[in-house]
Amino acid sequence: MLRCRDVGMLLYEYIEQRLEPSVSQQLEQHLADCPGCLAFINTYKQTMRLSSDLRCRDIPPELQQKLRSFIKTKLSSRRPSFWERLRSHLTGLL
Amino acid sequence: MAATQLDDQQLIPKLQARDEAALEALMAQYQARVFGLALRLSGNRQDAEEVLQDVFLAVFQKIDGFRGEAKLSSWIYRITANAALMKLRKRPKVQQIPLEEELGPAMTDEGMIAEPVVDWSRLPNDELDRKELGQRIEQALNLLPADYRSVVVLRDVEGFSAQEACDMLSLSEAALKSRLHRGRLFLRKQLADYAMVHHA
Repeated sequence: MLRCRDVGMLLYEYIEQRLEPSVSQQLEQHLADCPGCLAFINTYKQTMRLSSDLRCRDIPPELQQKLRSFIKTKLSSRRPSFWERLRSHLTGLL
Repeated sequence: MAATQLDDQQLIPKLQARDEAALEALMAQYQARVFGLALRLSGNRQDAEEVLQDVFLAVFQKIDGFRGEAKLSSWIYRITANAALMKLRKRPKVQQIPLEEELGPAMTDEGMIAEPVVDWSRLPNDELDRKELGQRIEQALNLLPADYRSVVVLRDVEGFSAQEACDMLSLSEAALKSRLHRGRLFLRKQLADYAMVHHA
């Protein structure tokens, strides 16, 4: 029989689905009988779900514009490397 | 202007040839994730904007040395993570987080839970509650020291695999596991404390 302390120690592997099926089954049997561990695991999973909601999926248009202006300024002020100059020279010869 | 999605094999030679359309395609493809990653890792909008600019400049400048041993995306995200964590580490240190045992419920000598654990996972059942908890977890994330925050952001916020996170941070899997679990426990406790006060 697993104790609550064992569940705490196996929690990470359980969430990451890395437990042997027999151990996973024992843990789930414990959860069925232990509201404290079940509540703890539910809130651990909910924490992960709320973390995933923090992912930014967009970038503000003004920031996109700022990025492009920055790159354009940096690249136009940059001296071409030896290889770029050579490539450009050779292209000119063709 | 909508840029065309190009795969690595198409994009890399064009970038190496200094093709401006390829640079535009690269930015369109990666800018949102680079900015999001930088924002969550640094915890600061100004720093994230600087990282965004520095990353694309570095990619464009260093693309000649890119050998294709990793995916282009992994290379870009690794540059982003390093740049954002460098910004974070320059700021004053935040608190240390408690030991793992102190972040879970109290146990009896027999190893059983000694006190009731409230299941607040079903509390945020309306938009307002969820928004409140969202703000709270953002604050809690910013309290995490860099070593813990980086793994939580890469795995749980951005959804990278354990292997990808280990590669980006040059971490062993054991170190990743330990930091991620402790980071999650810390965030859970912050949310639990908040939920108990506000929904008692």
